[in-house]
Amino acid sequence: MRMHAFARRRRKHTKRTDPAVPPVVRLISISKSFGAVKANQDISLDIRPGRIKALLGENGAGKSTLMSMLSGRFPPDSGTIEIDGAPARFRSPADGIAAGIGMVYQHFMLVERMTVAQNVLLGQTGSFWLSPRAMRATVGALAEEYGLAIDPGARVDSLSMGQRQLVEILKLLYRQSRVLIFDEPTAVLTPAETGNLFQALWNMSEQGKAIVFISHKLPEVIAVADEIAILRQGRIVDEFLEHEVPSEHALANRMVGREVILEVDAQPVPLGAEVLRLEGLSGNGLEDVSLSLRQGEILALAGVAGNGQKPLVETVAGLRSPQRGAVTILGSDWKAFYGAPQKESWRGGLAYIPEDRQGLATCPDLDMVDNFLLTTRHGFSRQGFLERNRAEEQTARLVEEHDVRPPVPATLARQLSGGNLQKLVIAREFYRHPRIIVAEQPTQGLDVSATEEVWRRLLQARAHAGVLLVTGDLNEALQLADRIAVMYRGRIMDVIGRNEPDAVGRIGLLMAGLRKGKREDGTAGEGARARQGEDGQGAESAPGGAAR
Amino acid sequence: MLELALPILAATVQSGTPILYATLGEMLTERSGVLNLGVEGMMIIGALAAFVVTGATGSPWLGFLAAGAAGALLGALHALACLVFQGNQVVSGLALTIFGVGLADFLGTPFIGTTVPGFDKLSVPLLSALPVFGDIFFRQDALVYVSYVMPLVFWLTMRRTSLGLAVDAAGEHPAAASAAGLDPVALRWFGVVGGGFLVGLGGAYLSLAYTHLWTSGMTAGRGWIAVALVIFAFWRPGRAVFGAYLFGGIMAFQLRLQAMGADLPSSLLLMLPYGLTVFVLAASSARGGGVGAPRGLGVNIEPQE
Repeated sequence: MRMHAFARRRRKHTKRTDPAVPPVVRLISISKSFGAVKANQDISLDIRPGRIKALLGENGAGKSTLMSMLSGRFPPDSGTIEIDGAPARFRSPADGIAAGIGMVYQHFMLVERMTVAQNVLLGQTGSFWLSPRAMRATVGALAEEYGLAIDPGARVDSLSMGQRQLVEILKLLYRQSRVLIFDEPTAVLTPAETGNLFQALWNMSEQGKAIVFISHKLPEVIAVADEIAILRQGRIVDEFLEHEVPSEHALANRMVGREVILEVDAQPVPLGAEVLRLEGLSGNGLEDVSLSLRQGEILALAGVAGNGQKPLVETVAGLRSPQRGAVTILGSDWKAFYGAPQKESWRGGLAYIPEDRQGLATCPDLDMVDNFLLTTRHGFSRQGFLERNRAEEQTARLVEEHDVRPPVPATLARQLSGGNLQKLVIAREFYRHPRIIVAEQPTQGLDVSATEEVWRRLLQARAHAGVLLVTGDLNEALQLADRIAVMYRGRIMDVIGRNEPDAVGRIGLLMAGLRKGKREDGTAGEGARARQGEDGQGAESAPGGAAR
Repeated sequence: MLELALPILAATVQSGTPILYATLGEMLTERSGVLNLGVEGMMIIGALAAFVVTGATGSPWLGFLAAGAAGALLGALHALACLVFQGNQVVSGLALTIFGVGLADFLGTPFIGTTVPGFDKLSVPLLSALPVFGDIFFRQDALVYVSYVMPLVFWLTMRRTSLGLAVDAAGEHPAAASAAGLDPVALRWFGVVGGGFLVGLGGAYLSLAYTHLWTSGMTAGRGWIAVALVIFAFWRPGRAVFGAYLFGGIMAFQLRLQAMGADLPSSLLLMLPYGLTVFVLAASSARGGGVGAPRGLGVNIEPQE
């Protein structure tokens, strides 16, 4: 579905097919090790102006390491980086910037308390004195030139993730970077924002910028890239140039080295008792939200980010109290449920798998055992003392069972890659035998095989739990959920069964706040779709059965 | 009534001035991301350096600069511990205070009881003729006039220059500063050493203008008040002026009360400024919840690889 939308706009993008364009950057047999881990081995890569080069690979395949070396964050152990045919040696990111190489990091490098303009011009202004007005004007003009909608005077902490990414892009554009590296740029974006980003990428590549797009999302890579290099375990295992790009299926194969089918067989299981009930929940940005979740089903909460999913999840998870309306969890009122002593309720209660894995789900500087104990400690307490030995055994067992790598319980959380950290969180939460699971963007930033694993576990969990799945990935909702509730501006627009006719189209309309699509099939719905298609925003959500 | 209030208000400005210098210095250091609890030690070393150099050269201005240099030197020690050797900022700062106070005591013993020329009252023409205002603000010594300009210079530097922007970035998000091609460690060196310079100047005020004497322990906790005032001021120079004069006012007031022979134990009155410090800290953290602290404050920049 996504592919369909991207591909259609792709055709407008005129390609230059001159093969003789000399590469602006040439990596020649680059190797890098961290301790015993060989992150990159003998990698050679050409990056040409006007092309979008995708670097495809699973979590931990060495993509980010490679690009960190290119941007000057750390030097390679061996090998050469050539810029315009001359070998370059970067000692710091400043050297990389000076050579025209700019990087948009996965975790944005923005000073949140400063404005957009200050962030863009940080370290860039030649003059000692600054004029805030002139800074805003400069950045505003630059944003306009590339068609990026952003207020240069806004403080970064008031911006959405998509807008923050625009700030990062503006930084590179201002520095006139010739090579722009994007590390998992769509991980934090809504589908509409992803579409905007791709348009920006095409605009920039048409203006002669060389773009490196690091991702493990196959449909996006196929849609956006001119050339694809596949990284596996620190080596380039395949490279496809223009017009050679194979099918998604074949790419997935090459990437993980085995068959992966990103479709799961979600057979319904018999429904049990109601585990969660929201009645007329309002306030905190929510408006009259009513929902019911039963054991044995997955209820997906779909919608563009920022339409009330966050307050809803935080209320259910006990992070903020409901203002108006009733929340009933496992038969108890919200206050009674969260007021009960955790000594008993840690098990068989509610498990929360937050979106923010490094901040909310884990403590980065604690090891796996301590992180495991964060929510399960009441199960390891004997007369007020913690049974750490038993916790260590259990952690070791779970780490093994969930294939967390490295399988060393003494590893600190921040040393784990995103996918492995998520495996640890899921292992921990499932250890509690929850009867309700609130999973928030559980596969965001995960590679294909890790995603598949998370999906499988969520489906299995239906045997003992009801799952509330908050996702920005419509495909995920459609694959897993029995019912999909669409949120828009704090309201539940509608709840749609997965197998209802034209579910995709209706969800798309509901996400955009168009309720009419529900009953008035025909004129109103079609009109709305056509309108959306034109501005390019709705193309994401428009019916596109051809995608899969 | 006015005859009673005017001297107290003029004394307020006087006792607020050293705190203002020290507060701005610590503010600069903290905005670059380094917590320096050595203010008390740097201040008293500054006071001694000012006293000794003025005594030796006869020039109070040289003494004033020497105080700044001495503060900067101690700041460099803190920077060395925290920025080069990745030491704990709290521990290093506390050590600096203990070291500074002890060293000043030791080196200053021969000077106890002596006096130096220092800065005398210097009325500003025209402005000092203003009713009330003139008496309070413009019949002071030169260092007070310098301190009027300092917050403005501080504000201009932080808000309107690329250097200020860069220092703030190093304090908020050093990795972002580094990605922008800046050197956050160098910026923190600037913050710690530059801040130390200002703190040292605050010390000079005590031995060259507030008194012309050297006594051991003459900072009497003003350095700690400055540390507290940075938090009270939410890291903004404008509020620092307000805070410094507030504390200066309390100090001047309790001195006056003592002089008038109020029927209160003098130790209770002496306690007033410090009691207020505790109160102000509790109140401002209850209100602001730590609002305004640079995000990277107290966190060392780990060297790559």
